[in-house]
Amino acid sequence: MNKLLHLYRRAGFGLSPSEWQDRRNWSLDQAIDDLFLRAQSRAPLPEGDHPEYTRGGMMAAARRKELQKMERQAMMSINHNWLSRMAAPGESSLLERMCFFWHGHFACEVKAGLLAIRQLNTLRAHGLGNFRDLVLAVARDPAMIRYLNNQQNRKFSPNENFARELMELFTIGRGHYTEMDVKEAARAFTGWSGNLAGEYVFRARQHDNGTKTFMGKTGNFNGEDIIDIILEQEETARFICRKVYRHFVNDTVDESHVNTLAAEFRSLDYDIAALMRSVFSSDWFYASENTGNKIKSPVELLAGTMRQLEVSNIATQGLIGLQFALGQVLFRPPNVAGWPGGRTWIDNSTLLLRLNLAAALFQAADFNFELAPELEQENKRQLKRLNAEINTTPLAALAQDAGQVDGKQGVASLVTLLLATPPPDFKTGPKPSAALVALRLMSLPEYQLC
Amino acid sequence: MNRRSFLQASTLASTAMMTPAFLRSMASAYTTASRSGKILIVLQLSGGNDGLNTVVPYADDIYYQKRPSLAIKANEVIRLNEKQALHPALAPLQNLYDQGELCIVNSVGYPNPDRSHFRSMDIWQTGSPASENWSSGWIGRYLDSACVGKPPYHALEVNDGLSLAMKGKISNGFAMSDAKRLRQAVDNTRLKNLQATGVSQSGNLGYLYKTLTETTDAAAYLYEQSRVHKATADYPNVAFGKDLKQIAELITADTATQIYYASLSGFDTHAGQKGRQQRLLGQYAQGVAALVSDLKANNLFDDVLIMTFSEFGRRLAQNGSGGTDHGTANNLFLMGGKLKKAGFYNDAPNLSRLQDADLIHQVDFRQCYASIIDDWLEGDSQAVLGQQFAGMGIF
Repeated sequence: MNKLLHLYRRAGFGLSPSEWQDRRNWSLDQAIDDLFLRAQSRAPLPEGDHPEYTRGGMMAAARRKELQKMERQAMMSINHNWLSRMAAPGESSLLERMCFFWHGHFACEVKAGLLAIRQLNTLRAHGLGNFRDLVLAVARDPAMIRYLNNQQNRKFSPNENFARELMELFTIGRGHYTEMDVKEAARAFTGWSGNLAGEYVFRARQHDNGTKTFMGKTGNFNGEDIIDIILEQEETARFICRKVYRHFVNDTVDESHVNTLAAEFRSLDYDIAALMRSVFSSDWFYASENTGNKIKSPVELLAGTMRQLEVSNIATQGLIGLQFALGQVLFRPPNVAGWPGGRTWIDNSTLLLRLNLAAALFQAADFNFELAPELEQENKRQLKRLNAEINTTPLAALAQDAGQVDGKQGVASLVTLLLATPPPDFKTGPKPSAALVALRLMSLPEYQLC
Repeated sequence: MNRRSFLQASTLASTAMMTPAFLRSMASAYTTASRSGKILIVLQLSGGNDGLNTVVPYADDIYYQKRPSLAIKANEVIRLNEKQALHPALAPLQNLYDQGELCIVNSVGYPNPDRSHFRSMDIWQTGSPASENWSSGWIGRYLDSACVGKPPYHALEVNDGLSLAMKGKISNGFAMSDAKRLRQAVDNTRLKNLQATGVSQSGNLGYLYKTLTETTDAAAYLYEQSRVHKATADYPNVAFGKDLKQIAELITADTATQIYYASLSGFDTHAGQKGRQQRLLGQYAQGVAALVSDLKANNLFDDVLIMTFSEFGRRLAQNGSGGTDHGTANNLFLMGGKLKKAGFYNDAPNLSRLQDADLIHQVDFRQCYASIIDDWLEGDSQAVLGQQFAGMGIF
């Protein structure tokens, strides 16, 4: 197992063959430094043009339909662009990975383009910053306010949805707050609302200025105070570190590692970048029980495959159709608890689709002159509309560099890059091309792991 | 050795060469299985079917006041009793009602109803309370609790993908839209050449290989099963008709599947409801009638229960564009040759007592699930649903 590649698989979305060629002699420290350095250039995404809204009742049905269609298209292109950034060597893969992690943590279905971009920008700005700033920004995020009904959270008719999920799913977890805490927190967040322009608005007249008692403290708390009190609890750091561990290290949590991380996270005042650096620098991160054993989520699988095959011009509809068929569509988590992950990604239909994904990309790219027997019988409807182009030249160069693909080292170089766990017994025919070997490797169940 | 067992043996021989022992033993147990016990077919009407124009309260003035142009006229409906009647497109089901093979449960729903398709469908498919987000389905958890060691197609969804309802915490059901296409999808050089020797059973890789082997075995088995019997009834020539036909053929071939799941979508009728719902209900009724007639012709209907549901009903009042908006409680159909209680299970919805302009539920959908699990499938509903629900005495 190559530590450098393990780092890039977990902290990003893997390496392209050219990236690997350039970095294979890097030290681990060098690679970690580079990941964090590149993540610092976190420019916000441009918001672009978005339709203006007027009060719902005043809008003609035809106009509303038109707007919905525009938003659907905007969401599709935002989805495509984000997946492309995850796959692009030019982007900061750690930054994209952190956004993806927080997107699953602060799970939120978004249907309007402007709100989606703004939420992504919130995650980009704070995803490697301070956790307190991140939670506060999410609490003021118009998409989240809408998703968890906080615009309906008013002084005389509180709505507890956001306050409850803030504790249950976003910060501290069940068993560490009471129903009374939920009610009191909801009061503190009254008036945290949004407007039609997709901006956060504090509606002072809807805010409850009364005294609240929350987690044993009493005062005229607002939402910010509530977040501070939650962050004072030791369990909060543990809860977040457990979630980080599950995403970046192992589905099965080692509580002693989590406790060490949590103590450090608290002592460093919830600095997320420092926490992540600790994870990536620890010995256990590279231990055999933590490598090559996580099932890639559909988005990880797609981004990684696109990176390794240098996929370009993939059709937006086809790409999103794949996300649906594989069970993970960006900005459409199943509910506020996010994607459960792990083995739940796998059933008979998703597994077949996963194993046939690389072949479908080769096929969409009309890459069948020398691969014909490998590509028979592909007839999944959604795969036909991919229109992708692929570039296998860098893979061939990698194998060539290692000493010819039909030699042992050539195949081994492709195995090292493409698989996080060795194939049990991999035989190639006489005179295989690098593209063919890559396709075979990417069609193995082993390729589903990272 | 007859043709089927020969094919089974040869399938096994070919998979045996490439699978490690822990996978092989499992495969042989599956392919020799055949059905034992009762069958459940779940039919999902996606999009929120308008229950009030499905089972029409034709004697209620409020219905006609609230739906001036969308109500089904009293002289067009198929009257079942003095209060309620079927939409004319459901004519093929009248015979089932007359024979005591259809039970209509009115006002089925759950507390604090959610009007989002997405969320409400999840609530129905997981069997969770509206206040909780569960990530496993009710049929999946039934598989976990009562079907350990059974093949994945013990619960079979006729669809490209597997619905949440079919995903348990440990076990999953099986998805297949077409037996021939499934066989084609596993029949390629890349998958056939896979060697799983040396793969550990416990880790995720073992799980992937196990799922793949199960899928390959299931593909071969289900393809053979799909060729044993040809259904003869008149199915509508749409995807849903083909799905039901496939189910009829698999059941008749004595396939080792206990639960089937199929969906018909398009019921989200915010505009132009009349024509669209008529067409969809027509496909539904014609398909179900054909399925029942094939099952009856093979003396199998006594062993079968068909449940039809939708994620919510629609608002009592029609909207401004000839349709209806998302509502709450809805009716649910149960069909079978052996119902202890047929006809109307409970009284018609009370249209004068609404909450937020919507019907109030009288029967919790989990009561229906609990009855089906306990009384029809002979499972343990408490293990599946996490709490005890009152039985319905239908099975």
